[in-house]
Amino acid sequence: MIEVVLNDRLGKKVRVKCNEDDTIGDLKKLVAAQTGTRADKIRIQKWYTVYKDHITLKDYEIHDGLGLELYYN
Amino acid sequence: MANRTDPAAKSIRGTNPQNLVEKIVRSKIYQNTYWKEQCFGLTAETLVDKAMELDHIGGTYGGNRKPTPFMCLVMKMLQIQPEKDIVVEFIKNDDYKYVRVLGAFYLRLTGIDSDIYRYLEPLYNDYRKVRLKSPEGNFTLTHVDEVIDELLTKDYSYDIALPRIKKRWTLESLGALDARKSVLEDDFEEEEEKDENEQDDLEEEVAHEKDYYQTRSPARERDRDRRRDSHRHSVVSFPFHRDRDYERDRDYDRERGRGRDRDRDRERDRDRDRDRYRLREEKDYGRERERDREREGRERDRRDRDRGRRRSHSRSRSRSKDRKRHARSSISPRRHEPEDGSAREEPKKKKEKNEKKDDGTDHPDPEIAEANRIRASLGLKPLKL
Repeated sequence: MIEVVLNDRLGKKVRVKCNEDDTIGDLKKLVAAQTGTRADKIRIQKWYTVYKDHITLKDYEIHDGLGLELYYN
Repeated sequence: MANRTDPAAKSIRGTNPQNLVEKIVRSKIYQNTYWKEQCFGLTAETLVDKAMELDHIGGTYGGNRKPTPFMCLVMKMLQIQPEKDIVVEFIKNDDYKYVRVLGAFYLRLTGIDSDIYRYLEPLYNDYRKVRLKSPEGNFTLTHVDEVIDELLTKDYSYDIALPRIKKRWTLESLGALDARKSVLEDDFEEEEEKDENEQDDLEEEVAHEKDYYQTRSPARERDRDRRRDSHRHSVVSFPFHRDRDYERDRDYDRERGRGRDRDRDRERDRDRDRDRYRLREEKDYGRERERDREREGRERDRRDRDRGRRRSHSRSRSRSKDRKRHARSSISPRRHEPEDGSAREEPKKKKEKNEKKDDGTDHPDPEIAEANRIRASLGLKPLKL
């Protein structure tokens, strides 16, 4: 179980607990459940890399405590 | 400039009509080339020409969330605010299905509740296929009546949040609308009659058998009771039948094509005139159906909500009841207490086992339990600790 921090630099900072074999799509659903936006409106980035929905966190090498950027579509 | 709403337009839901589309999607539309090139300076008439050229519907697609021309035209309509007559014309026109969907969508966004139900429900009979652009960018297939159903039941469609409208039964109870009369209702009647006749036949057979063993009058009473029950059963089981038959009829009609539908409509009108007395029975029948359907819906909701946890509890509870019954039935009163005690322990153990098997929602750490609860509601597996 890892904990990922997502920050949208406009006041929304969320800590989400998830498994390493969850996909980015699942992570978006968890973030949506916590923030109240819709899951398909969320975009997760790291600098200019937009993370794709069907790839797992483990494959993106997202480890515990990593900060991700939260943007909206 | 070009993006300002017509100053003569009224405000919808208390705000600039263009604000019905949220900020990010609105900006995407304003930056779109289709909007900039084709939608500049459109009036109601030229809008119709553009609408006739539409060949697919959809929200935003792709990594960039690019809007479809359908969305740009919806935005344009919100900007210029055509008259209600024009919108109704869009909906009533039969030749261009995309113009129809465009009009229906605009009405859903801007119209009043009773108008929405009144003009959109006839479109349930339109079975034509429409091309839908999925959010990934591929095309999929859907049908006009499916689109209308989405508009009337969901609250978010094609990346635009649909304004809340009152439920249909609220408007019916206010008297603003008539009760919903489905075009397929005569078919349901036939199906139901067939089922009732089958059930009655079965009951008659069973009653005849029982006559040999028992005297007549109790059998007759039972028959009467069974008939009453069968009526109730057929009413309660009706919603499930309806779903099945509705699907079957819909597919069947689609295969047959529209030409034959018109003939069926004509036949149905003739039948309706002939069986007018049936309509009055139907009304009372329909009300029972509604009540039962609501009850069924509520039960289904309750069942769905309690699916994860309650089912295991009830299973253990019933098992404990059986064990208690066995315990009491077995012999001496002196052994009564210890047996009851053991019976009570076992269901407790069963309860714990069942809870542990669950999604980890009973984890001692409340944060993890909460996280697991959210995951379970989203359909994800529990956290691996």
